[in-house]
Amino acid sequence: MADNDDNGVVCANPDCRVSQDGKCVEGFELNTCPHYGHLSDAVDDEEIVTEASDVNAVIGLPAADTLTPEQVARLLRAGETRIIAIIGPSDAGKTSLIASLYDLFQEGSVAGIDFARSRSLHAFERACHDARAASRRRIPHINRTPRGEVRFYHIDVGGGAAGDVLSVLLGDRAGEEYRGAADDTTVVTTFPEIRRADSLTLLVDGERLLDTGARHNLRHEITMILQALIDGGGVKTGQPLALVLTKIDAVQVSPESERAEADFRDLRMNLERLFGAVFPRIESFRVAASPKTNAVARGTGVPDLLTFWLEARSVPATSRSTSPAFARAFARLRPVDELEIDI
Amino acid sequence: MNARSIVIIGLPESGKTTFLAALWHLITERDIATALRFHTLKDGDATHLNEIAARWRDAKVQDRTAIGGNRLVSMNLKDANDTPVRVTFPDVAGEAYRRMWEDRDCEPEIVEILQAGGVLLFIHADAITPPRWVIDEVAQARALGLEVPDGEDIAWHPRLTPTQVQLVELLQLLRSEPLDIGPRKLAIMLSAWDKAEGERLAPGAYIEAKLPLLAQYLRRGADAWIYRIYGLSAQGGDYDRIDPAAPRLPGAEALRCLDRPSTRIRLVEEGPPTHDLTEPLAWLME
Repeated sequence: MADNDDNGVVCANPDCRVSQDGKCVEGFELNTCPHYGHLSDAVDDEEIVTEASDVNAVIGLPAADTLTPEQVARLLRAGETRIIAIIGPSDAGKTSLIASLYDLFQEGSVAGIDFARSRSLHAFERACHDARAASRRRIPHINRTPRGEVRFYHIDVGGGAAGDVLSVLLGDRAGEEYRGAADDTTVVTTFPEIRRADSLTLLVDGERLLDTGARHNLRHEITMILQALIDGGGVKTGQPLALVLTKIDAVQVSPESERAEADFRDLRMNLERLFGAVFPRIESFRVAASPKTNAVARGTGVPDLLTFWLEARSVPATSRSTSPAFARAFARLRPVDELEIDI
Repeated sequence: MNARSIVIIGLPESGKTTFLAALWHLITERDIATALRFHTLKDGDATHLNEIAARWRDAKVQDRTAIGGNRLVSMNLKDANDTPVRVTFPDVAGEAYRRMWEDRDCEPEIVEILQAGGVLLFIHADAITPPRWVIDEVAQARALGLEVPDGEDIAWHPRLTPTQVQLVELLQLLRSEPLDIGPRKLAIMLSAWDKAEGERLAPGAYIEAKLPLLAQYLRRGADAWIYRIYGLSAQGGDYDRIDPAAPRLPGAEALRCLDRPSTRIRLVEEGPPTHDLTEPLAWLME
């Protein structure tokens, strides 16, 4: 191109010197040459690439979605964290609970604890949307978590039980996968959020507990999920466990309210009896994360649960250091990759 | 001459250009004692500033087509010690900040602009979209005996996010790669303060009440902002549309009747109100 356009005369044939000698290298008259007056293909491509790269010359900013286990591993190195595994069958209210905590911060501190920062603001907003007026719904709704890898919602909090600052990572996974662990415990090894959790939160769907038939299956499912997590090697002995009765707005107005509450108490006693050695600390909570009427305040019970999440820490199962105790500090240095970030 | 840059950010129509217009008038009119003072027009192009200040003096709203695009404007000022200082401000359309929230990217020139020094964050005090919930709205409608209309569900879009969430994210992004340059000073300007004063809240308390998520974020200091909060009425009231056929509003006419346009400006922090718009700038540059 540079060879043939010195005088502003161009030819698509890069071998042509028409701008210098006025002759077509292929012997055509200039007005009949198919290449004369056109840019070469090579040049066209180059210019298109340049234009395209100009158009695309934007700089990406950090996403604001849920975090992957790899991203969580990096956060673990940065400061004090609490990983919370929220477990339960489908529709038990896992995402509602996460969205509800975030929505409480929209109106102010929660149990004396402030919102400090979040890397998941898009994800939180998406989770909250169908309970917000902007969705134009008449009844609040929260979408079911799709099957796939566990997703972590991130929020930094400070003040009160959180101390100066604490990163909270709320693990959300499709309920079918937890339920499926009772059929095949080998899948538990693919649940990093359980193994690394500082506490487990097991949701008991209050609406299902109201149903005469479903209540038996629900209690059985809950028990079998815990059994599968233990047998599959997912849990560590000593992990604090929150047992949460959800949708208490529905429970409170039901004629079966007392029976459902009694079932919930029985379930807790049964879990203590069966798994007390693995979970020495089991606490009960009752929440209305996203009530369908205003008979119960939005987020009822969630502040208590947040306080539990911040205070409860599992005892590390193994020592982090397996290196020989060298006297010299230099000899104790290890590459970052060797650090135990087991998520 | 010392050169300093100040980042002006805010969502669309948050009062950024009106601030620059009022500031340029105040600086060049020299009828009010200010922390930063006029120095010279030399070595600068004041065309854009002169245009927007003229519209401001005429009590006309800033024409959004005229203020579209990204501009850098500079003012040659003197500080309290008579030291000349050239202050550069970006006049970036609010859409660029909306894009940062929604599309998670920005143009390289915006990145460069945002990596300058202290930050002036504009929030339109009378245009805050709070979070609202289905059950609250349904309960309210029923309490008023209104029928709750059946409508089509609306899918989530980042633009539907409450104002406070977008503002928190904007500040978080300034403290994240690739925009982060370390802890910075932040002057929060609650614009259209004349419309918020009926609430009888100081600017800090107004943020607590109307933007509690932002208040918590600032209070916790996870991003180490050194901040002050101001209430700013840079217009003094509603201005007329720029369209020549637009009706002349009585309020705008009353503002035009003031003999000294600089006195339309009211800046409130903790003490008594002042007309000195340069005070936050002087603080940012300390």
